[in-house]
Amino acid sequence: MRRYGRVFREFFRACLVEEMEYRSEFFGNFIASFFGIAVALLTVHIFFYQTDRLGGWTYGEVLVLLGVFNALRGFIDFALRPNMPRLLEHVRRGTLDYVLTKPVDSMFYVSFRHLVFWRLIDVALGLGVIGYGLYVERYVPSAADVCMFLIVMAASLLLIYSLWMMLMTTSFWVVRIDDLSFIFDSFFDTARFPGSMYRGAVRFVITYVLPAVLITNTPALALLGKWSVPAALAALAVAIFFLWLARRFWRFALRFYTGAGG
Amino acid sequence: MIRKYIALLRMKYIEMLAYRLATFVWMTGAVAQPLITMFVWMNIHPEESESFVFYFMAVIFVERMTSAWDVWELDREIREGTFSNLLLRPLHPIHWAIAENIIYKWLFAVILVPVWVVAAVFWPALLPHMTGSQVVLFLLAVVLGAALRFLLSYSCGLLAFWVTKVAAVYGVIDVISLFLSGRIAPLEMLPPQLREWSEWLLFRYMISFPIEIATGAADGEEVARGFAIAAGWMIVLIAALQWLWKAGIGKNQAVGG
Repeated sequence: MRRYGRVFREFFRACLVEEMEYRSEFFGNFIASFFGIAVALLTVHIFFYQTDRLGGWTYGEVLVLLGVFNALRGFIDFALRPNMPRLLEHVRRGTLDYVLTKPVDSMFYVSFRHLVFWRLIDVALGLGVIGYGLYVERYVPSAADVCMFLIVMAASLLLIYSLWMMLMTTSFWVVRIDDLSFIFDSFFDTARFPGSMYRGAVRFVITYVLPAVLITNTPALALLGKWSVPAALAALAVAIFFLWLARRFWRFALRFYTGAGG
Repeated sequence: MIRKYIALLRMKYIEMLAYRLATFVWMTGAVAQPLITMFVWMNIHPEESESFVFYFMAVIFVERMTSAWDVWELDREIREGTFSNLLLRPLHPIHWAIAENIIYKWLFAVILVPVWVVAAVFWPALLPHMTGSQVVLFLLAVVLGAALRFLLSYSCGLLAFWVTKVAAVYGVIDVISLFLSGRIAPLEMLPPQLREWSEWLLFRYMISFPIEIATGAADGEEVARGFAIAAGWMIVLIAALQWLWKAGIGKNQAVGG
């Protein structure tokens, strides 16, 4: 475990050095992130121009949810998204051989080798929106709330990682598509709003089958003091189950890898 | 000219077939956002669910029919220098882009219209209630919308002769259009100031306007005024494109190639 911490720190350092090469980009990226969150806020504002509840959530509560969503998406763009096209390349060209022969776990390596730091701005902005939402709601979270929030947030991160990893693993079969991430984005976009807003089959799917709702709604609710211990435990259990599933799938997929072309 | 176009269309058709899977993925790509927005509005005004279903399905349809991708193509071609290949050919490069647009949108229509018909059998909410003249005006508005979006996208793409971040510029325009073209909300749901803005800007005529004709939200005088404003924008964009083209060709150095 300590070795992996050290390896991760090394990835971190290498990517930071790489990014420092393009410092002038930072300002543009910063504006882009700000613009993105402004658009999201304006969207919510337009919805609440017509109503004062969305699926039973108030304006402030939806803002907290939006903040959680933005922070989690920032995390995806920071650590996971940059690695997807690289794995596709590895599989297509057979260079995955070099990854497999390294003395670190291959799944760990392919999912964290490349990091895009400026995306952490989105995480920071997300936290800012959470703060603003709490202010609008006039709610000050207690220590227990924050504690619960951290626990379910960790579960959400695990879940996102597992779902993303499973999608990435399909690249062993579908090397043709340049970028599979839009599939994940389409599904994850549903998590931007309260799950109680959806109806019928869609609601069932995004609550139980692909738990998009669980990923964002539970942390937001926890921070708003509406947590329950069973719900948090369920979130953790689901996260660990999906991680196990992703792991199994990765192992299964590796058996199909022939290293042709390498 | 017609014979040239037939040849161009055939070429683009073959090109499209070569990348079937990519085409298909690309066609279904932009569905999630309108669907989610639809759920939001159905939640806010449950009593009008049916009309929201129709509206947002129409948004998906019209958005696909009017979508424009030329800005990314031009950005890449001009930056990498491959644009020179097109310049050497004996026909203005814009004709290649127009032919490509016609072919892809024809394919979208061929696939999406039957899907709509089948879906309408199961969901009566999707049945359009349109008179003959409404259908004609709707189709006209869609073509006009496609032309507007194409011209805007192509003009933006030509900016690549001067700046390297054209895609980012277009991204900003696209986000503004998200609100003012009726993709986030039917325009009548917007706050009054935004609504007023939307009427005079060109974005409404790219997506919302054809749908307003189809649902009967806009009729008579309003339709006539809409077409007039859209035609005005059309003239502005054509003039801008011609000017950008002349100035840009003078600037072009074709580094790379």
